Amino acid sequence: MNDLSIAATQSSPAVNSNWQHGLLSMCGDSYPENSFELFDPVINWVERYLDESDAPLRLELHLLYLNTSSIKAVMDIFDLMEEAHRRSRPVSVCWYYDEDNPRAAELAAEFKEDCSFPFDILSKTS
Amino acid sequence: MNSPDLFLLRQTYNEQRIMICFNGPFSKSLIEEIGKALKNYMQSENATPTAATDVFGVYIEMMQNIRHYAAAKGYSDVDAGATVIIGRDEEERYVVSAGNIVDQTDGQYLVSRIDSLGGMDKAALKALYKEQLRKPRPEGAASGAGLGLIDLARKATLPLVCSLRELDDGRAFFSLRVVI
Repeated sequence: MNDLSIAATQSSPAVNSNWQHGLLSMCGDSYPENSFELFDPVINWVERYLDESDAPLRLELHLLYLNTSSIKAVMDIFDLMEEAHRRSRPVSVCWYYDEDNPRAAELAAEFKEDCSFPFDILSKTS
Repeated sequence: MNSPDLFLLRQTYNEQRIMICFNGPFSKSLIEEIGKALKNYMQSENATPTAATDVFGVYIEMMQNIRHYAAAKGYSDVDAGATVIIGRDEEERYVVSAGNIVDQTDGQYLVSRIDSLGGMDKAALKALYKEQLRKPRPEGAASGAGLGLIDLARKATLPLVCSLRELDDGRAFFSLRVVI
């Protein structure tokens, strides 16, 4: 199913997808200079999964710092999920953050404002 | 070149509480390395993770703005350089300043854009940020999300301060100071 398995670098997160389980995870900082080079395959995977399958999609995010172009790309992914949600497709996001650093939680909360599907923001230590 | 007095330079940096500074052409990997040094430095100073994230974020956004601009303009390595200073002010706030060569007309546009952001409170900046986030990204643009300056204004605790010094070849030196 052409799952994604992208290793993390200093400026880009690890990205892994599992078509069979309807799971996409991203973990780490994201501030590549050209964020669409990184995110285009991810956006394509989400688009394809939402088109070709009826199963639920769950995103697990352990993202820390995002530069603005990564924020734009992540918003594009959430927009696809929002569209699917409006067609009654089960989609959800779990965004994990470190209690030491509330910035990641604040970032997640801002995204959540624009999403009406289930969107949990969870502390890793709680 | 006269041999620079490194001791004097060092004294100036210390007096002005400059943690890290850089001048010259820079690459993507250099941005990352200086960023890593900045993170380590702030950790050793026992900065809160929140402050470290904010300063790091401002630094990255400013440097990437400069890189994208120079690339879009096709500037030579020399003109594509930047001058960056990261330090603290008298009130212990972190300050990131960066300057680069721009075309004069672009510089004037930047100055007016920053002036208009300066008149906005946090709620208005957030609304503008969200509006910009909703705009489709320009075809073929590597980044150009157009969010950079608004993001800086949102992270800053004081209005952004910028200046433009005209050079004689239709270009100008643009500098921007962000207090976090």
